[in-house]
Amino acid sequence: MAPRTCMLCDKNRAMLKRPKTGQQICKDCFFVVFETEVHNTITESELFKPGDRVAIGASGGKDSTVLAYVMKTLNERYKYGLNLFLLSIDEGITGYRDDSLETVKRNQQQYDMPLKILSYDELYGWTMDAIVDQVGRKNNCTFCGVFRRQALDRGAAMLGVDHIVTGHNADDIAETVLMNIMRGDIARLGRCTSICTQGEDTIKRSKPFKYAYEKEIVMYAYFKKLDYFSTECIYSPDAYRGHARVFLKDLEAARPSAIIDIIHSGEAFEIRDEVKATQKSQQVCKRCGYMSSNELCKACTLLEGLERGMASAGITDRGRKKLEAEGPAPDNLRTIPFYKPPSASPTVAVE
Amino acid sequence: MSSCGNPNVEADALMDRKPKFDRSKVCVKCKTNPGHIVIRHAVYCRDCFFPLVTSKFRKVLTPVINENAAPGLRIRSLRAAGNLTVGFSGGSASTVLLDLVAQNYLQLDSEASTKGGKDHPRKYEVIWPEANLCYVEISNAFQGMRDRTEEIRQVVNKYDAFKFVPLRIEDAFDPDWWSKFGYRPLASELELGLSCDTTTDDIFVSHSQSSSNSTPVSRLRAFLSSLPTQTAILSSVQAIVRVLLLSMARATGSSHLVLGTTLSSLSISLISGIAQGGGFTVREEVQEEWSPAAVEGDQSGVRKGSVRVVRPLRDIGIKECAAWAWWAKLKVVGREKIPHANQGIGALTKDFIVGLERDYPSTVSTIARTCGKLAPKDTSRLRCVLCQRPAQPGVQEWKSRISLRSFTETADHIQLLADAESKPARLALAPALCYACHTTLTSRSSRGVAANQRNDASLNQTSVPLPVWIAPFLKDFTRHDHVDGSSSDVVSSGEEVFRSRKLTTDDMRKEIGEFLIEEQAM
Repeated sequence: MAPRTCMLCDKNRAMLKRPKTGQQICKDCFFVVFETEVHNTITESELFKPGDRVAIGASGGKDSTVLAYVMKTLNERYKYGLNLFLLSIDEGITGYRDDSLETVKRNQQQYDMPLKILSYDELYGWTMDAIVDQVGRKNNCTFCGVFRRQALDRGAAMLGVDHIVTGHNADDIAETVLMNIMRGDIARLGRCTSICTQGEDTIKRSKPFKYAYEKEIVMYAYFKKLDYFSTECIYSPDAYRGHARVFLKDLEAARPSAIIDIIHSGEAFEIRDEVKATQKSQQVCKRCGYMSSNELCKACTLLEGLERGMASAGITDRGRKKLEAEGPAPDNLRTIPFYKPPSASPTVAVE
Repeated sequence: MSSCGNPNVEADALMDRKPKFDRSKVCVKCKTNPGHIVIRHAVYCRDCFFPLVTSKFRKVLTPVINENAAPGLRIRSLRAAGNLTVGFSGGSASTVLLDLVAQNYLQLDSEASTKGGKDHPRKYEVIWPEANLCYVEISNAFQGMRDRTEEIRQVVNKYDAFKFVPLRIEDAFDPDWWSKFGYRPLASELELGLSCDTTTDDIFVSHSQSSSNSTPVSRLRAFLSSLPTQTAILSSVQAIVRVLLLSMARATGSSHLVLGTTLSSLSISLISGIAQGGGFTVREEVQEEWSPAAVEGDQSGVRKGSVRVVRPLRDIGIKECAAWAWWAKLKVVGREKIPHANQGIGALTKDFIVGLERDYPSTVSTIARTCGKLAPKDTSRLRCVLCQRPAQPGVQEWKSRISLRSFTETADHIQLLADAESKPARLALAPALCYACHTTLTSRSSRGVAANQRNDASLNQTSVPLPVWIAPFLKDFTRHDHVDGSSSDVVSSGEEVFRSRKLTTDDMRKEIGEFLIEEQAM
């Protein structure tokens, strides 16, 4: 049978079947449509303006590796006028981050972008290994997730950037929509499909790969010969997310558009006004200055629990009450440095 | 990006299973009898179970019977604006629904009316003058399915209060059936043109030239077999059944259509609907107001003469329904299995939710409560011609922006086409569809039923018949040739002009102007 020609250029031999559209296309056309779709996502949402300082959240995994490459490509091709940085968080998990941080360092050389690596140890005085030693494997994702979010913002503030872009892809977003519905997290459900989120004084966060299929990101890395590390976290018992992911893969197999369809659904609805009115208003953590819905932000609560040997304080109501019954926090408690919103000039030297 | 556990490969990734009930095996309500059923960790005895389910059922239905049926109002003032239609599938939930409606709202025997206080439900005035039970037989949609109309009739005959109204799914493709409701048949039927070209998602309607000898069943089967995935087939069957029920409810002067959707099936349909792109109509999955003309209601969306679709079992799980049917000795006819249904998104969702419910019993109620807190982001006057639910405009533009399928940039790519010389007039149907229906008709899968035949390069387009109810909504297209020779509009609605445009490079350039430093300098 003669090889099929590309359905887009009608010239070259088709090299792949696009997971998103089912079209059989050539490698070059795939690069063009993939990059153009990301560009459309960026321009449609007006994510950046010329002169913006943008940090790419780089983990060394496939999404962030491809994101760094595509952001650099688009910035040059369409003259966005952005100053791009790489920002990595080292959670302190032995054997998990070591290789991927090497990838990030290599990206720094290849793409000529300044890199900042910020560790949990540096910021909180705790590595994830130490946290798991104390809390066990059951709730450690709570610590890691809360600490990472704040670490990214703080790292970005140190770099003096206006904007962080992360490699969250369409599969991640669809999965999060399903998860938030199933566990009734209405606040997160309302914002999880937004391409850009911004608190009152925090740095903007965006997901340019919002409509990019995970499979296509891998495909892009494969054809562009980008190397990355695919490392599953060794401390990951988040059963609910696991269930949602398996379900999503089944849906995608039944109908590939399911991923985009879920995102479209998530974009089509919002929280009813009367429910919005019952939501907690945003305030500032009295201890570290980071945005918070309570007097203390989640990271400070978790850290206090760790420091006082009651790790469940930030996880369950019972744990929090137990901590409160023990009396106020001692004066010499180790705390997170006070958060300073980004300024135009970086406060740390980058590598 | 996500890097959390996979329960398939890691034993630690699964949370501990919770105990089936919280405290003791004694009924939590009467605290004396031993429990007979566990409902989300709480134990109930058989005596307490029946009032519990009845109260949950009435709590949903009573407040929506009329505008005055606010909580606390005297129960005797209930009187609906029209008749009642019960949508019946033959499953356990609709059997229980039938029993509950009959017991609580329709059976007014003189002996019972002497008992109880003055506001006792037995002393209701007649709430609905007539009660119809509508059953849609779908056996002709697929090979090898059994017709159960007579079995259903026997079940319904046990209830004097109901008049049995049997329908058949092929009625959707029968112009004679629709003409009974004031739809005027066209001289030629409409047919759907599904482009097999994967570079576009274009769908056209045109006048059929060759279907005069076909039967409603053959047209139905031609329509279903043209759909690209199993998911699309099953969703379309559901949509057809829903529109037939609504149309019959309207035709019988019903103000209310009650359906036997349980808490479990509601959660499944919510998640399944969201997975098929139906997020904009998440509210309609729970309750909706429907009228056949374009949506022109007041601010609350309520339109005079509209049918209110209510799901009074939405707080009752499928397990409670099964227990009710068993203890009340109700005959459940059961539902026929649709061939290959397990490959669709609906079946996958059902397996997922039922499996999850086993380990996390609160899941279904959490899903329903969460979705109950949602509303569509924008208001839209557009209504999908296929599923008859509210639709967002701009579906195709959105899709073409995030999934590039072609490098050609034709300005008026999606537009009304009229080629009088060689082809019959064609109208782009896509802009008249909601996102979910557009996806149903166009989204392909490598394992889809029609994928192979669609990929055949010899086929440029497949033409299939459309359900009859679509025609009146395409006013501009159908204002000609009625069988009686007149040329008036079919219905007074249909204000929408279905015309949209794909963005060109110039349009895009305008939008990104601030990013283009060279252009700014010029």
